[in-house]
Amino acid sequence: MISRAFKTVFKKEVMENLRDRRTMMSSVLMGSFLGPLMALGLIYMSVQMGKDKAEKQLELPVFNMEYAQNLEKHLISQDVKIVTLDKSPEDAIKDKDYDVVLAISENFAESIEQAKPAKVMLYFDDSAKGAASVSVRRVRALINAYSSSIGSMRLQLRGVSPGLMKVVSIEEHDQATAQSKGAQMMLFLPYFLIMGLFMGSMYLAIDTTAGEKERKSLEPLFLNPVSRVQVLAGKLAATVSFGLLTLVLTLIAFKLTMPFYPTKSLGMTLSLSMSDMGLMLLVLLPLALLAGSIQTIIAAFSKSFKEAQTYVNLVVFIPLIPSMLLMFLPVKEKLWMIATPIMSQNIIIGQLIRGEVVTWFNVAVCVFGTLFVGGLLAWFAVRLYNKESMLFAD
Amino acid sequence: MITVDRISKSFGDVKAVKDVSLVAEDGKITALLGANGAGKTTSMRMIYALITPETGLVTVDGINSTEDPVAARARMGVLPDARGLYLRLTARENMAYFGRLQGMSEADIKRRSDELVSRLGMEKFADRQTDGFSQGQRVKVAIARALLHDPQNILLDEPTNGLDVMSTRAIREFLREEKSRGKCVLFSSHVMQEVSAVCDEITVIDAGAVRAKGTEAELLALSGANNLEDAFVSLVTEEVKTGANS
Repeated sequence: MISRAFKTVFKKEVMENLRDRRTMMSSVLMGSFLGPLMALGLIYMSVQMGKDKAEKQLELPVFNMEYAQNLEKHLISQDVKIVTLDKSPEDAIKDKDYDVVLAISENFAESIEQAKPAKVMLYFDDSAKGAASVSVRRVRALINAYSSSIGSMRLQLRGVSPGLMKVVSIEEHDQATAQSKGAQMMLFLPYFLIMGLFMGSMYLAIDTTAGEKERKSLEPLFLNPVSRVQVLAGKLAATVSFGLLTLVLTLIAFKLTMPFYPTKSLGMTLSLSMSDMGLMLLVLLPLALLAGSIQTIIAAFSKSFKEAQTYVNLVVFIPLIPSMLLMFLPVKEKLWMIATPIMSQNIIIGQLIRGEVVTWFNVAVCVFGTLFVGGLLAWFAVRLYNKESMLFAD
Repeated sequence: MITVDRISKSFGDVKAVKDVSLVAEDGKITALLGANGAGKTTSMRMIYALITPETGLVTVDGINSTEDPVAARARMGVLPDARGLYLRLTARENMAYFGRLQGMSEADIKRRSDELVSRLGMEKFADRQTDGFSQGQRVKVAIARALLHDPQNILLDEPTNGLDVMSTRAIREFLREEKSRGKCVLFSSHVMQEVSAVCDEITVIDAGAVRAKGTEAELLALSGANNLEDAFVSLVTEEVKTGANS
């Protein structure tokens, strides 16, 4: 039964919060658009940087190029722009002038003539970010290709089949579907969707508990002839509904930004139908109850609005943990993972994004698992103020 | 009518209130007089059923407030020490919110709001959001919202604290009107003139315990002083609790 007190408190909290334009702007609108936009920006940037390095003409600084004229011809034929270096290779890397520097040993030509292994040195910084490793990989591949082509020629001249050198040949069959490629990048997308939900309910969770205590209106409120559980339930319902509102807006924002994802470069298709979006909404809905309850509990224990804000802000990072764990955990989902709130949403949204089949069983376990934990937290949250020591800020 | 029978409360090792008893009758204004930190607010909080007494009993119109705090609260209108308003709601909306929580109908809320707005002189600011209200305006709104359901018992914790003369007079006048309507009014205060000006019965409390009880004249006779302030000082500094716990 929905009591009158519950409805009264719910309506008042919603109306009061809607009157506060600044809060609306910052928590609901920012919360819903920030996530999808940040995800888009990050994915776009990393794709763009990788693409630049992979497709652009390779600029390769070579130290002592004059010792290896044949290699120079080979590199130029492969569309490499050879750059002369005015400092030592070590310095060039240290000063971050180039990602990679090739140095030719002085007896390179001599070694080639005598059919001994000729030495080149590759200078790079292995701790550098992703894009640099693309350049290193390209140079290594160029040198290897040159090496094996000369090697094959040598064997042929001696009447030996180059095939003898290959004892085992690896034929690679990459089973990644077009969509699962580059999905690594998309691993954090669920987090950005969940983040909005947490941001949307954050303000109300604090304002209706710690804020009301600080403004000294909590005591008069509890002097009305209604149970504290009903009052708190009304407040929690208002908090959760703002989380839900933000969630819906987040999904709309995500749908709107979807065409801008660099899907071609990722080698994937990001085609989420309306029913996929609906499924996403369905698995995220129960999370609003969980988010609102956790935030209410934390805020209720805080002595002031500011203290509550500090702690509740940190809660926004909780959903990041499963996203990070999923990078190390097995790809095949286990039942416990589907039953764990936030992690289960991560997995199911990930599957939807990758275009995999999502089973109804998993959806049910996810929804009921989250509802169960959320319900428990809510049960605890609405009873917090039954303890006398929680009533006063001083 | 409110009867308080030997209530006590401690916070940790500190015994804030020790065996306080008093009776606030209908048609009378009763004061709980005490210095800062004497245990007034804690006593009031137990009387208006926000916190539970460790020992003793409070009855409001015969309802045991420990057993049925919700029913007891419905019989009371309370202006507590904490009187924060909702700043983004207007004065009338603040009142209506509490009226709904009291279970009043929308028509009753409208009728009583109009009545209290005019009796407390709130016409000028009744429809403004309460953000930026003066101290006096805030207290008037807080009183109006606490008494919207026209309760039989009116409890106020230091009602005129920090108010100017005009606001203080308006509130005193209001309390006298309520008394003449047969209401039971109980308020706590540390201001002697105030108590002297409006109260019929006075309970003097110090260090969490009752020191003396009676009308102003009785207290003066008891202490041999010729004004309430001297009487109060003599009563709370006296070691022997003359006349207390009658």
